[in-house]
Amino acid sequence: MSEEAVDVLIIGAGASGAALAWSLADTRMNILCMEQGDWMDPAKYPGMSNDWEARQLGDFGLSPNTRGRREDYPVNDSGSPIAVSMFNAVGGSTILYAAHFPRFHPGDFKVKTLDGVADDWPIDYDLLAPYYNANARMMGVSGLAGDPAYPAKEVPLPPVTLGKVGETLARGFNRLGWHWWPSDSAITTQEYEGRAPCINAGTCLLGCGQGAKASTDITYWPEAVRRGVRVKTRCRVREITVRENGMADGVIYYDADGVERKQKAEVVVLACNGIGTPRLLLNSRSKQFPDGLANRSGLVGKNLMFHPYAMVTGVFDEPLDSYKGPTGCCIMSQEFYETDRSRGFVRGYSFEILRGFGPVSTALWGMQQGRMPWGADHHRAHSELFNHTAGMVVICEDLPEPGNSVTLDPELVDSDGIPAPKINYRLSDNSSKMLEHSVARAREVLVASGANDTIAEAPLPFAGWHLMGTARMGADPNTSVVNEWGRCHDVKNLFVIDGSVFVTSAAVNPTNTIQALALYVGDRMKKNLANLFD
Amino acid sequence: MSEENFERPFSADELRTLTSVLDEIIPPSVERNLPGAGEAGVAAYVDAALRKAVELRPVIVQGLADLEAQARSRFGQSFAALSKTEKGALLNEQGFIFPLMLHAYIGYYQNERVVSALGLPLRPPHPQGYEMERSDLSLLDVVRRRPKMFRTLPE
Ligand SMILES: Cc1cc2nc3c(=O)[nH]c(=O)nc-3n(C[C@H](O)[C@H](O)[C@H](O)COP(=O)(O)OP(=O)(O)OC[C@H]3O[C@@H](n4cnc5c(N)ncnc54)[C@H](O)[C@@H]3O)c2cc1C
Ligand code: SF4
Repeated sequence: MSEEAVDVLIIGAGASGAALAWSLADTRMNILCMEQGDWMDPAKYPGMSNDWEARQLGDFGLSPNTRGRREDYPVNDSGSPIAVSMFNAVGGSTILYAAHFPRFHPGDFKVKTLDGVADDWPIDYDLLAPYYNANARMMGVSGLAGDPAYPAKEVPLPPVTLGKVGETLARGFNRLGWHWWPSDSAITTQEYEGRAPCINAGTCLLGCGQGAKASTDITYWPEAVRRGVRVKTRCRVREITVRENGMADGVIYYDADGVERKQKAEVVVLACNGIGTPRLLLNSRSKQFPDGLANRSGLVGKNLMFHPYAMVTGVFDEPLDSYKGPTGCCIMSQEFYETDRSRGFVRGYSFEILRGFGPVSTALWGMQQGRMPWGADHHRAHSELFNHTAGMVVICEDLPEPGNSVTLDPELVDSDGIPAPKINYRLSDNSSKMLEHSVARAREVLVASGANDTIAEAPLPFAGWHLMGTARMGADPNTSVVNEWGRCHDVKNLFVIDGSVFVTSAAVNPTNTIQALALYVGDRMKKNLANLFD
Repeated sequence: MSEENFERPFSADELRTLTSVLDEIIPPSVERNLPGAGEAGVAAYVDAALRKAVELRPVIVQGLADLEAQARSRFGQSFAALSKTEKGALLNEQGFIFPLMLHAYIGYYQNERVVSALGLPLRPPHPQGYEMERSDLSLLDVVRRRPKMFRTLPE
């Protein structure tokens, strides 16, 4: 059964799909977004009930493989030391994200020029700056002007509360003379556009029932829908179909009842994230594209970048109120961001200071670390850690390597029978050295902040939540999948707007840049509407 | 044995053993005003949680039965009646302790008596949240004085 053709079909209602839908809405084109997940009900988020911490081991877990939600598809990540994390719903992974919202730096787009590694992006910071500003207004970003690590930028709201955790660490950074700054956060710190301010509840990774954290189901989507964009949930796209002439002509999908259906479209946009997008392209094989759609370069699914993470936690004598405040947004440091070859690696990393754990997570994390015995010593162990930890994650720039990839698993399928993605990933020598360096520096600053002990995990095994590089952009069709505004070189009415298009990863969380790019692509599409496919 | 229905709730005997085991895993602490995990009623939580953990439940049920049998054969009494040292010695030999600990910890640290004793409010984090003090942004003065740190590109 086929339905009425639409002008633009966006697949995926996450961070990027929402931004593009909103951007294109004022064209009054017939725009449809298909999403395999559903609208979330914020009143039912775990933070509203006493068992909220335990839910992170259940239906609000980080991995789609263990949550047991039918909206998810499995990911075979057994070939990677870093497990994939994502969420499938209207809002996509922003339902779970920490909303740490830094920008790339000008140099991040030109690492080949600066450091002779990887490739330069075909676009630059100045081009994206207005879109970063627009995104900050739409998402409601908080932060503080004047950071010496960045060019001047627009931040609409005052920074999140530092709390004892932030101030304790800030003093440590100051003692060492290292850079730090309040984090840019996609979290409202005051009433903003009908959204309530953050109440420091600390459940950000399980959804924000307050509506303070900018997941796109409460930011871009209501605006886009009001302006006429339609969202069809519980539609899982299996493949993109092509005409004789090699142009995309729509999709085949499964509806909520698992019935196979077709949807025709003049323009198809992929916004399924750095894993879902290559999966769909590779699963769209035809006689014109036997190796997967838009894959004449052979680069679809290649160059997967994650950002290797480390987590380094300090144990302090004094109580830190550390379960209060936004989980991943506090302060950050870019002291070791730029290349210094004397360190034995190129490029660098950021520190993102975290809040501590709740009582359940303290017990389970302590158990994992072999520090939470049963028996007589249990209470001492728990009281030493609960409300007495503060620490950070390290975000390392991941350089693109063709061997790190997404392919189709030959056996594993989702509940509709669509092949699941399979991840092959190894840590490069450069990343391993960077992790080692960062852990040593993290311990140093924790001790300078007053920690009596430090605990490090590197690489952090569950931190595959930044999904980038698997359909990279570039000017040359032989070495890239999409052009500088997201249009596939091989299929001129097919666009990619999620993190797949990243050429390099920088050493900051990607979502602000993903959305700024989506807004830029939207503007380019609007400017070129008359000759979009030339 | 293979006909055993593991879906059923724990029997009264099993619950007694489990409660006693839980009190060993997390014993009471007078000084901290904290109950033992058994005394706090965590067995009911574990029972419910294990009903969703279909692979683990038989392991625990069997483990509790074996523990009782060993208590009787070695010490001639039920596990609950043993001395602290005897209980500890037996538990140290049991493989099911580690997976049981996970559920015991989750149940214990969301138990109302425990949460109050830890000084936390008896309510979920939302919708009330937590008050925090104003940030001391004067800590940034030294950072503000730093020269620009990001690299600019060659023209
Ligand atoms: C725990 C966690 C913490 C994070 N913290 C941060 C952070 O602090 N800062 C930051 O910048 N980023 C963070 N991220 C990453 C951030 O969430 C992602 O970068 C961002 O959501 C990616 O946007 P996207 O549009 O590319 O994809 P997503 O937001 O993942 O959306 C993709 C959507 O496409 C849908 N889809 C996929 N395939 C199909 C199909 N075949 N048919 C129909 N629909 C499909 C999915 O259901 C999904 O809803 C975090 C992520 C996680 C999981
Ligand atoms: S800490 Fe703030 S942003 Fe995070 S869940 Fe609570 S209210 Fe939302």
